[in-house]
Amino acid sequence: MAISPTTFAIAALLLISHLTSPAASLSSDPIVTELSALQSQSPTGVIRLSDSLLRRILSLPTPRPFHALIFFDAHHLHSKPELSLPTLKSEFALVSASFQSNNPNHKSKLFFFEVEFQESQSSFAQFGVNSLPHIRLIPPTASDVKTESIQMDAADYSRLADSMAEFIESRAKFTVGQINRPPVVSRKQIAFIIAVILIMTPFFLKKLISGNTIFHDKNIWMAGAVFVYFFSVSGAMFNIIRKMPMVIADRQDPSKLVFFYQGSGMQLGAEGFSIGFLYTIVGLLLAFVTHVLVRVKNKTAQRLVMLFALFVSFWAVKKVISLDNWKTGYSIHAYIPSSWQ
Amino acid sequence: MAAQETSQSAIFRHAFGNVLSFTVLLLIGVMAFSIRLFSVIKYESVIHEFDPYFNYRVTQFLTKSGVYDFWNWFDDRTWYPLGRVIGGTVYPGLTLTAGTLWRILNSINIPLSVETVCVFTAPVFSAFASWATYLLTKEIKGAGAGLTAAALLAMVPSYISRSVAGSYDNEAVAIFALIFTFYLYIKTLNTGSLFYATLNAIAYFYMVCSWGGYTFIINLIPMHVLLCIVTGRYSPRLYIAYAPLVVLGTLLAALVPVVGFNAVMTSEHFASFLVFIIIHVVALVYYIKGILTPQMFKVAVTLVVSVGMVLCFAVLAVLIALVASSPTKGWSGRSLSLLDPTYASKYIPIIASVSEHQPPTWPSYFMDINVLAFLVPAGIIACFLPLSDASSFAVLYIVTSVYFSGVMVRLMLVLAPAACIMSGIALSEAFDVFTRSIKFHLVGTTQNPQENAGDATKVTQNDVKSEKSEDTVKERSSRKSKKKDKENIEKPSLVSRVEKRLLVLPLETSVMAVFLVVLLGAFYVVHCVWAAAEAYSAPSIVLTSRSHDGLHVFDDFREAYAWLSHNTEVDDKVASWWDYGYQTTAMANRTVIVDNNTWNNTHIATVGTALSSPEKAAWDIFNSLDVKYVLVVFGGLVGYPSDDINKFLWMVRIGGGVFPHIKEPDYLRDGQYRIDSQATPTMLNCLMYKLSYYRFVETDGRGYDKVRNTEIGKKHFKLNHFEEVFTTHHWMVRIYKLKSPRNRIRGKTKRSKSQKSGTSKRSTRKKNPWQ
Repeated sequence: MAISPTTFAIAALLLISHLTSPAASLSSDPIVTELSALQSQSPTGVIRLSDSLLRRILSLPTPRPFHALIFFDAHHLHSKPELSLPTLKSEFALVSASFQSNNPNHKSKLFFFEVEFQESQSSFAQFGVNSLPHIRLIPPTASDVKTESIQMDAADYSRLADSMAEFIESRAKFTVGQINRPPVVSRKQIAFIIAVILIMTPFFLKKLISGNTIFHDKNIWMAGAVFVYFFSVSGAMFNIIRKMPMVIADRQDPSKLVFFYQGSGMQLGAEGFSIGFLYTIVGLLLAFVTHVLVRVKNKTAQRLVMLFALFVSFWAVKKVISLDNWKTGYSIHAYIPSSWQ
Repeated sequence: MAAQETSQSAIFRHAFGNVLSFTVLLLIGVMAFSIRLFSVIKYESVIHEFDPYFNYRVTQFLTKSGVYDFWNWFDDRTWYPLGRVIGGTVYPGLTLTAGTLWRILNSINIPLSVETVCVFTAPVFSAFASWATYLLTKEIKGAGAGLTAAALLAMVPSYISRSVAGSYDNEAVAIFALIFTFYLYIKTLNTGSLFYATLNAIAYFYMVCSWGGYTFIINLIPMHVLLCIVTGRYSPRLYIAYAPLVVLGTLLAALVPVVGFNAVMTSEHFASFLVFIIIHVVALVYYIKGILTPQMFKVAVTLVVSVGMVLCFAVLAVLIALVASSPTKGWSGRSLSLLDPTYASKYIPIIASVSEHQPPTWPSYFMDINVLAFLVPAGIIACFLPLSDASSFAVLYIVTSVYFSGVMVRLMLVLAPAACIMSGIALSEAFDVFTRSIKFHLVGTTQNPQENAGDATKVTQNDVKSEKSEDTVKERSSRKSKKKDKENIEKPSLVSRVEKRLLVLPLETSVMAVFLVVLLGAFYVVHCVWAAAEAYSAPSIVLTSRSHDGLHVFDDFREAYAWLSHNTEVDDKVASWWDYGYQTTAMANRTVIVDNNTWNNTHIATVGTALSSPEKAAWDIFNSLDVKYVLVVFGGLVGYPSDDINKFLWMVRIGGGVFPHIKEPDYLRDGQYRIDSQATPTMLNCLMYKLSYYRFVETDGRGYDKVRNTEIGKKHFKLNHFEEVFTTHHWMVRIYKLKSPRNRIRGKTKRSKSQKSGTSKRSTRKKNPWQ
């Protein structure tokens, strides 16, 4: 880190005068002390940047003693899911908190800021930010923030906190270290759950031996098995892993919704579930006809239900075949001897 | 008299049914074999793709040097300079199987080459697999369902994709081993015979020898045992089916070098041990229940439960401590990505980069199991009505495999047998009901229809009966459980007999239903034949494309490997991306730096870094690895999409994972991967770009890349540290030689002159190969 000679001299002086003072107050700059104070006030260490504060930071002589990483936020856009601002904001805070807990000595070398659009529009203008999400790193040497600061690419926050940390490591030469994500269940909750399980086990075992738990009801197992089957063949795992939306807007006409995506490498959520439903319904109807309907004594009812089942099954199979041909572009054909044609 | 006659006719019918089943099975075997021959007919009898070449090379070594040398084989032709211990790191099942086949054939004077045996191993074993499916399904739901399931499995596209002639890979024999192990487990469970239990352990051993997927078995069977215990289905037969398998199976599995102590040390196997303890506790409880009065038993239960729980918790704590002490929590990356599907994409680029580890979308199911996807739910429900030990296993098998196939597309292969079994059951039940109704109406009597179509169901009943008698003979354990089993078995057969009398559907709709089901089956056959012929038969070592002026054959890969083997020294090292490692060692017999056995990430990252670095840096890396030649695959001229430029981002990612100075964003313009004039300078200067597009502009004058559908960004450039030595006919493989370092003593002018003359000579000698 390039600390200017003057800063260093003052710091040395301070060191002599206050030998016992902590490391944070080493830098004499009132702004840095103020920022450190603001940082320690915020639970995650992210400082709310106002127009005036920004002006004061930028008024410092150019090799400033710190890097600044700014997250541009707009509350009125939080509701738009495609921007995913709330997620990015919390991830940003996570990086900040992790950085400060992992590097207590470098706390005042890299500050994390957030700017809210409604209250500091001039800051947005100053950086020339006109689209979100937008994260920007101001190196100490930058005098003109618009051109000399570094914008974080979309690729750098695609993997959320991890890739943000990599960005910081590559551009500002700070190691963020381990990202400390808060555990999904806290220690107390885990203890509580274990206690509950321990207490429940004897009762459960007693029931188990006498043989009347919900596990002994085979209908539940049957429903569960069919559901897992439906879930898997609908490609739901694909949707979860790839975080696919249920539907997307049409590119040509944004008011229209696209439910089916052409091309076999991808699928949409609603598409998968509807096909999974078609896959499952045929088998269920067949099972219904062969196991339940045969027990019905009324001939007309049998006939009607069966006609309905046959029609629905036929339609479902036909629909899936045509959709598959449309989606993948395969043309499945038989190999008929040429003399037949 | 009449009774005698009926019994005689029953014997005759039984015999007829057996002969019919046997004939059908034989035909199914022939079909399973012959549907996989499209690749030989359309192309030639050749080993396919990448991994099979390695297996072929190992088999060659085995047949030449014998088992002991194979066991101790240290291969210095790969992973230079590290080498690889082949005997200890390979699943030997496939190799030993093919080697044995070859030996037997030769000893009875059928002189087939090793390659021919390797090419046809997979089709032969798929016939075995369909017979094993028959046996397994017969144990679950009777012979009718068994035959249907076998016929479905013989041509299920998912399995065809891994077992066409020439696809000489572990899965070819492993699927047979998987089904056969399950069959023997169910057989033991149904009979309670120790003989089958021993066979089961041996079949499991064969599976462990063949494929890493054996962990599926050793987790699925304990899950089933646990399920049986939890749902109150514990029986001595269950104990006999499970305990010997764990003890013998684990001992045998530990004999396979590649598994070794993993069989007791990794978490994938812990479930089986935990269930092993539980089944003993449960067995003890049942034993005590048998010898005590009810009051005494109640007292004992408290005691046993508390002691058992303490024991269980102690073992559990030890297990958790063991697991927590290992860095990946004792699970290998591939298994972890099954449980937490997002794991691989986050942490392991080398797993995430392989296309068969991606999650499938719904068309994949339609492609790979086709109409079976519609029939499976009916099969699941049929398995619950009535629920037996065997059918609960089938349900568990389909549920777990369908979930896993949802995470990783390659596990569709494990789903396929389960889907066939379930669909076989569903189809057989459906035909049973519909044909019974038709016959009932046509014959017009209330008596049980006795003609041809009743055969399958008849055999089923006989089987159930014979099993029952076997049961009563063989079981000599606890009386209570025996009684219970008897009841269990008698109930379904009673129910089915009652059904036969009364339960029918209207005639017309039944006829329609039969017609539609047959139509569905016909569509399945058409689809499977189409998939076998068009989709899954390409060897990918020889490519063809059909255009308006006829068929084009691209045999560039073999051309390049042949060039390497004829024009380079035996000890020369060839660097390429890991995909081509196995082929280079097998076909060109040259030493490679990395290959498809991706055991050393750092080494792969080194090659990735070299290919993504500028020329000089790349030369330094390659030179430090003693590399003489660099091989790149380039599809831009003929439009071959799986070339190195399309794989390049993975090289960058994997390289950057170990060497942080390689950063993916440097190769992307605004997050987009491009090679045209908008490409980043890092991209245009990296070795991969240069080696792929060197002199490319000479082909058509403007350097139009047919895969990326764009003109390339940098057209005219020279190579300073590499020289082109060979480019195949369609430019698909290009081989470069590392120039030797410049001589410092010679003067600058002299050097440049000599270099110039060198290049001009080369360009005059070697004309544009595209002409």
